[in-house]
Amino acid sequence: MRAAAVEILLVEDNPADVRLTREVLKEGAEGLRHRLHVVEDGTQALAFLRREEGYRGVPRPDLILLDLNLPRKDGREVLEEIKADPDLCSIPVVVLTTSRSEEDVLRSYQLHANCYVTKPVDLDQFLEVVQTIRAFWLQVVRLPGR
Amino acid sequence: MAQEPASRQEARSSGAAEGPVSAPLDAHLAPVLDILPDAILIAGADGRIVLANRRAEELFGYGAGGLVGRSVEDLVPARYRQAHAAHRAGYHHRPQVRLMGERRELWALRADGSEFPAEISLSPLDGGRLVVSAVRDVSERRRIQEALERRTRELARSNAELEQFAYVASHDLQEPLRMVASYAQLLERRYGDRLDEDAREFIRYMVEGARRMRDLINDLLDYSRVGRRGRPFAPVSLETVLEEVLAALEPAITETEARITCGPLPELRADEAQMRQLFQNLLSNAIKFRGEEPPRVHVGARREGALWHITVEDNGIGIDPQYAERIFLLFQRLHTQREYPGTGIGLAICKKIVERHGGRIWVDTDRRRGAAFHLVLPESPPEPAEEGSPGGEER
Repeated sequence: MRAAAVEILLVEDNPADVRLTREVLKEGAEGLRHRLHVVEDGTQALAFLRREEGYRGVPRPDLILLDLNLPRKDGREVLEEIKADPDLCSIPVVVLTTSRSEEDVLRSYQLHANCYVTKPVDLDQFLEVVQTIRAFWLQVVRLPGR
Repeated sequence: MAQEPASRQEARSSGAAEGPVSAPLDAHLAPVLDILPDAILIAGADGRIVLANRRAEELFGYGAGGLVGRSVEDLVPARYRQAHAAHRAGYHHRPQVRLMGERRELWALRADGSEFPAEISLSPLDGGRLVVSAVRDVSERRRIQEALERRTRELARSNAELEQFAYVASHDLQEPLRMVASYAQLLERRYGDRLDEDAREFIRYMVEGARRMRDLINDLLDYSRVGRRGRPFAPVSLETVLEEVLAALEPAITETEARITCGPLPELRADEAQMRQLFQNLLSNAIKFRGEEPPRVHVGARREGALWHITVEDNGIGIDPQYAERIFLLFQRLHTQREYPGTGIGLAICKKIVERHGGRIWVDTDRRRGAAFHLVLPESPPEPAEEGSPGGEER
């Protein structure tokens, strides 16, 4: 498959959730190397993406997994800024959140999220969701610059 | 009757008797006017009061005989005086009867300078040379009306707050719940073969508890959405709604070998998503609470004037009449989780939806077998008031 590892940026403030995503990403990922970078809030996410102070030399992510409810700058604002930035707007953003609210779904797409996924309570379903995201975004579609 | 009323009567009409216009009032009518609950004033074209009944003197705070000879403008707050005089002149040109029912509310001025809201009706008298007016103090009515409006606003606000709370709480509860359930499952997945049967059973209960909690939260969310997230009413075909509901329930229908029949169903103005939820809840209940035989469910409708009476009948285990009211309350369940799993929110949601549509729902308790739910829905209900706060605050 790919030679270089796929770079994924996870924007999530709950450490238990981060660990779970990490564990689930590990499962069934034969032949697909990835590196998971984690930031805890919206401000850090944008600093990472713009390689500002403290994030010099970090790779440009191939995929962003974004939670909506974050401390300080929340996911909606991050999404808006990413999609308004000509350097960042081509990175696919998957909104991955517990919210089932129709408003959140609609608003995320209006802000040009690439897809919106509700995190299921069930582990098996979550596994399926993460594997689907990985398969689609990292194996099926062609991303810019890869 | 003693001397007093007589002298009052004399005092009140004296101005009239001596003035250019005479009060066209038979002496016999004076006591009648005095027992009226409204203030009665008769004035000439120049606005001079020629007659006032007892209630008028009380209401405006003038002593006996204190009103006759005054200008009616004395009874109007200074800020309205000019307009009132102009209005009065206009009225004398085109006199007509104007009754209280027309609700002309104005402010009136008492002798001591205080004001009260008044409702006034007018009628020309003596070919339009005089005008008789009846004045009613409506402060009390206005106070009650304002209190009612205030109470209604408070109630609407506290309702909106409660629903907002249920909604936010539900969302924020999902997160920790996911952690409990997911890590318990991860534990079993990774370490299951190193655990004994007891440990695996404990994990199963944890996961089961978390799933049940998830169902409760989701149902509570749905419940809080009925008022908050309702859409405006539009024409909805209940036949289409039923088709969609049956498609959604297909797995359960196949599994239980249920047979569901529908009579002709009407089109009415409603919130389509809520109609779907309503019938999905009722039909899935009818299938869930089955007896020994495969479920048989019939949905029928008949017109009753501007209303549609819809019935959902089944051949299931039925409902004990003593619980006929309780089943529509939040979290009320009649069975253990083992017998029939559920959250006890479904019928509460149904009731809320039906009531939002200005209808009624009840269960027929007079049956030997099965249950029959009755809905009465207006064909064209009034638009519901928007109960919730705007969507921007939502998370």
